Amino acid sequence: MLEGRPLQGRALEELKIFLASQDLNYDEGIEYSACILDDDFKIIAAGSVEENVLKCIAVDPHHLGEGLSGSVVSQLIQYEFEHGRSRLVLYTKPKNEEMFKSLGFYTVFQTKSVLFMENEKQGFEKFIQAIQEITPIDAKDYGRIVGAIVANCNPFTMGHRYLIEEALKQCDYLHVFVLSDKRTFYGAEDRYQMVLKGTEDLNRVIVHQASDYMVSAATFPTYYLKEKAFANKANCEFDLEMFAEIIAPPLKIARRFVGTEPICRVTGSYNTAMKQILPEYGIEVIEIERKIQGDEVISASRVREAVKNGRFQDAERLVPETTWRYLTQKS
Amino acid sequence: MEIVQPAMAGTLESSDCQVTVEPGNNGIEFNLESVVINQFGNQIKKVVMETLKNMEVSQVKISIVDKGALDCTIKARVEGALFRSVGQFDHLPWGGAVR
Repeated sequence: MLEGRPLQGRALEELKIFLASQDLNYDEGIEYSACILDDDFKIIAAGSVEENVLKCIAVDPHHLGEGLSGSVVSQLIQYEFEHGRSRLVLYTKPKNEEMFKSLGFYTVFQTKSVLFMENEKQGFEKFIQAIQEITPIDAKDYGRIVGAIVANCNPFTMGHRYLIEEALKQCDYLHVFVLSDKRTFYGAEDRYQMVLKGTEDLNRVIVHQASDYMVSAATFPTYYLKEKAFANKANCEFDLEMFAEIIAPPLKIARRFVGTEPICRVTGSYNTAMKQILPEYGIEVIEIERKIQGDEVISASRVREAVKNGRFQDAERLVPETTWRYLTQKS
Repeated sequence: MEIVQPAMAGTLESSDCQVTVEPGNNGIEFNLESVVINQFGNQIKKVVMETLKNMEVSQVKISIVDKGALDCTIKARVEGALFRSVGQFDHLPWGGAVR
């Protein structure tokens, strides 16, 4: 077994060549890889890890049926547990479902081209259940309009607050899902706390952590699709279809609110895809004009920029008092 | 003994089993995947429950992916996962609880 955290130099090059022969790309964010070598030191099976996502798992077709995938996945899971991660997920091709099932993974959702699995039985069902438990019973009444916002809130700004207030004018209850990506400037838990505190006075707002079930562009793997541009589009579609097919129906979400996106191209194209896909499932997409302060829209990236450059007064003006208090208490 | 952190032991290779344990508050939550679940599902469950009892564990989420492991293997893997979950790596009291 050849291991690397991540692999470097020649070993990395060999892994990339091996993956390419299996139609996979090596993902740049990978932090750990495990490979099995044959007698000639050639890679015949490999797998990698980024955060709690197992990726780039492949076995040489000449060595199928030797249990190599089991050895590789065991090694990856061992690594994850050593790093305190017990909830694991993976994306793969639908034809691999049986194989990963036999390795203790369960299907969450699949489309024609992508299969999303997790290692906890009924993990997704428990996620929905937990949301329903903190949702007021009144929200389930017939005729209530339930809306949703999905956002990073990195950090929670006046812009987010404005978006939520505007959305509340157009629905009875609003689920706010804070994305759980860990590679953000502010941690997932911090962002969740900021949103909780920043919406405490709004009793029709229900705040959740999106866990692994809503995918930001960053967490999504692009490795198994050759064309990057196409991959991004497929990623958006997968995330939106999952939202529309298995998240929105049990929560009776009929409207999704989103701020207009004048700056970031990735988010912009995501929003375009949203307006195409969600209405097909009967979910209305409502775009809300972003709040302007000074002569620019308020954005979390503007706040981060100000904080990084030490312009704290500028940052303070862009966030609610609750966020500012949270951040200053933290540091 | 009480589970402190998630831990695992074992592999997914043939004749082995992968055991993961996590802190729980609903008694023993047992989940089994096995290639021989129809033949030996009950026997595997029995071995796991006995092992947990010997280790004095009453609150745990335990999940097993079995690849045809023998009883002794299952027992050892369960104990291994439990020891790791309380951070005990030396002087393991095999067969008994960590005190």
